[in-house]
Amino acid sequence: MTKNRRGEYLVAAVLVAPFVLIFGWMFIYPTLQMVQLSFTKSPLIGAGTWVGFDNYVRMFGDKLFWTAIWNTSYFVLLTVVPGTAAALAIALMVSRLGGWVQSFVLAAFFLPYILPVTVVYLIWDWMLNVQFGIAQFLIEPFAGKRVNVWRSAPWFMPMAALLTIWWTNGFSILLFLAGLRNIPRELYEAAALDGGTRWQVFRSITWPLIWPVTVLCLTIQLILQLKIFDQVYLFAQGGRTQSTMVLVQLIYEQAFQKNSSGYAATVAVALFVIVVAFSVLQFQLLRSRGGNK
Amino acid sequence: MKKFLKIAALSTALLSLAGVASATETVVWWDFLGGGDGVRMKKLIEDFNTANAGKIEIQGTTLDWGVPFYTKVQTSAAVGEGPDIMTYHASRLPLAVSQGTLSEFTAEDWAAMGLGPDSFAKETFDAVNVDGKQYAVPFDTHPIVLYYNKDKLAAAGLIGADGLPTGLDGKDNFQAALQKLKDGGSQYGLAMTTADGGFAFRTIYSYLCQQNGVLGTDGAWLEGDNLGKLANAVQVVADWVKAGVTPEYTDYPSAVALFTSGEAATMINGVWEVPTMVDLEKQGKLFNWGAIELPVLFDRPCTYADSHAFAIPNNVGKTVTPEKHAAVLAVIKYMADNSLFWATAGHVPANAAVQASAEYKAMQPQATYAKLTANQVFDPKSVNAGVASPLFDAAGNAFTAAMNNEVDAKTAVDEMKASLDAL
Repeated sequence: MTKNRRGEYLVAAVLVAPFVLIFGWMFIYPTLQMVQLSFTKSPLIGAGTWVGFDNYVRMFGDKLFWTAIWNTSYFVLLTVVPGTAAALAIALMVSRLGGWVQSFVLAAFFLPYILPVTVVYLIWDWMLNVQFGIAQFLIEPFAGKRVNVWRSAPWFMPMAALLTIWWTNGFSILLFLAGLRNIPRELYEAAALDGGTRWQVFRSITWPLIWPVTVLCLTIQLILQLKIFDQVYLFAQGGRTQSTMVLVQLIYEQAFQKNSSGYAATVAVALFVIVVAFSVLQFQLLRSRGGNK
Repeated sequence: MKKFLKIAALSTALLSLAGVASATETVVWWDFLGGGDGVRMKKLIEDFNTANAGKIEIQGTTLDWGVPFYTKVQTSAAVGEGPDIMTYHASRLPLAVSQGTLSEFTAEDWAAMGLGPDSFAKETFDAVNVDGKQYAVPFDTHPIVLYYNKDKLAAAGLIGADGLPTGLDGKDNFQAALQKLKDGGSQYGLAMTTADGGFAFRTIYSYLCQQNGVLGTDGAWLEGDNLGKLANAVQVVADWVKAGVTPEYTDYPSAVALFTSGEAATMINGVWEVPTMVDLEKQGKLFNWGAIELPVLFDRPCTYADSHAFAIPNNVGKTVTPEKHAAVLAVIKYMADNSLFWATAGHVPANAAVQASAEYKAMQPQATYAKLTANQVFDPKSVNAGVASPLFDAAGNAFTAAMNNEVDAKTAVDEMKASLDAL
C-alpha cells in the first residue's frame, strides 16, 4: 500500500515537474529578482548599488505615485463593474435572439476584442479628433464646444474606460452567454407555469445561477484593468501625461525613459501587492456571497 | 614582355576580384525612419548595395522611432547583439554615452571618411561631441520651419518683391499678420500642434533662444531670467490660440491637414513634412507653397534643430574586425557624399560640401530655409534631453495646458522647472 502511494507521488511529481520548472524559471525567479532590484539604485542595464528601503521611502512621498494610484483606481471603478454589467445585459439580449441573427449580432459585439490596441487607438483617435472627428457632433451639444477629450482631465478617464469596455467586452459576453445556456430550460418553464414576471424570473433564476460566471468576469476584469497601460499611454502621449498617469505607465517611464530600474521595480512591487490583495479579497468576498444564496 | 605584363595584371585583377567576392562584408543597419524619409533611406541603401556589390552589403532594418528604438539599442549593445551601424539623434547622444552604448569616432576614422569639423555647420558638429569626443557622424540637420500658402499670403500683401514672405518679424507684427490672414478668409492664420507640448517644445524652445535664453542643464535648469523668457515664449503661442488665429488642442495630423487643405494659411512644423507638400503638389492637389526660416519674433533669428547622425554601437564582448570597421566607415562616407538625395526629404544635408553644391542651391524650398543652419540651436547637452526624453515629457506636461490657456504661462514654466530639477 505505502509502496504504491510512493509510486503515485513519483508519477505525479514527474508530471507536474515541467510546469513547476518553467513556472519557477519564467515567473518566480524574475519576481524575486524584481523584489531584489527594488532595494537597489540601478540603471536599466547593469548592476546597481544597494540602498535599502530608500526607494520605498521615495515612493510613499512621490506625488506622482499617488496620482497613479488614484487614476488606476478610478479607471478600475469605471470599467470593472459597469463593463461586467453591460456584458450581462448584452448577453441577456443576445440570448433572446436565434439562428444566424444571433451569430451575426454576437460576432458584431466580439469583433472589437480581436483588434490590436494600436488599431483601437487609431479608430477612437479619428472619431474623437477635435478638428475632423465624427464623435465631436455628440460632444459639442453637451460641452458647448468641441473638446479634445485626451487633453482634458475630466474627460480622459471616462473616455478611456468607455473605449476599453467597447474593446474588451466581447469576451465577457461570450462567458455570460455560455453561462446562460447552462441554466436548465425546465426552470424557466416552471416559472412560466407559475406565472412569474420577467423581473422575478431574472431575480430568482438567472441572477443566482449566473453568479459564478459573474464572479469570474469580475475577477478577470479587475486584474486586467489594474494593469491598464496601453490605452492611457497611447492617448496621453506628448500631452499631460502626469495628470493621467497610471501605475504601469509610471513603471515604464521610470525604467525605460528615466533609466531608473530600481525605482521602477519598487512601483512594480507595489502594483504586485495591490493586484494580489485585491484579487484574493474580491474572489473570497464574491464567493462567500454566492455561497449564501 | 608586354604580353607577360598584361597577363600578370589581368590575373592579379581577377585574383583580387575573386578574393573580394568571396568575402562580402555585411553591415547590419538599424534605423528609425518610417515615413517619407524612410522610403528615401531605403533607396540610398539599395544604391549603395548596387554600387558595392560583392564588396559590402547593408542589411537594413527599420524599427520604431523614439523610446522603443533607444531602449532596444541600449539593451542589445549591452549584450553584444546590436547592429554594426545605426541612425541616432544627436540630441540623444549624452544619455547613450553615459550608458556606454556608443563607440567613439577616432581621428583615424574621420581621416578615413575624409570628413572633419569643417565638413559641418559649427552647431551640428558640436552636437555630436560629448566631453570633447565624437560619438556620431552628422548626416543631416532637421529644423522646424514656417510653411506658407503663397496665394493667401499674396492676397494679404505679405509677399515681397523677391517672392518670399515679408513683414512677419516681431511678435505683435506676426500676430497681426496671422489675424489679417484669418480675416482674409482662412479659418486659421497658423496651424501648429497645440495638443502636444512635447512636439511644440521645438517651437517654444526656438522663441526662448530668440530672446537669448537658455534651458540650462542638469542641476541648473532655467536659472535667472531664463524662466521668465520661457514664459514669454509659451505666451506667444497662448496668445495665438486665445485670439483664435491658431486652433486649440490640435494634434499633429490635424495641423498638417488644416494647412494642406487651405484652412490654415501657415504652419510651423519640421522640414520632414516637405515630401508631403511635394507629393500633393505633384498630384495637383496643393496651392503655391513655400517654407522659410522661422520669423524673428524677439531679438535675433534662432531655430530649434536636431541631427540624424550615424553611430556605431559599443557591442559588449564583440570585437569588430578592421575590415568590418572599414566597411562601416565606407557606408557613412557614401551616405554623406550622397546626401543630396536625402535633402529631397526636406532635411538639410549636414555635409557642407553638399549644401554648397549648385544642385542643392537649386532645390526649393530647401535652399531658402537652409540658411537657418547659421542660427540653429540644439537641445541642451543632458542625459535627460533630446527627442522623446524626460525633457520633452516635462514640456508636454507644462506647455500643453498653457498653450491652450488652461494654465497661465508663469505657472506652467514653474512646474516645468520643478519637474526638471527633480530628475
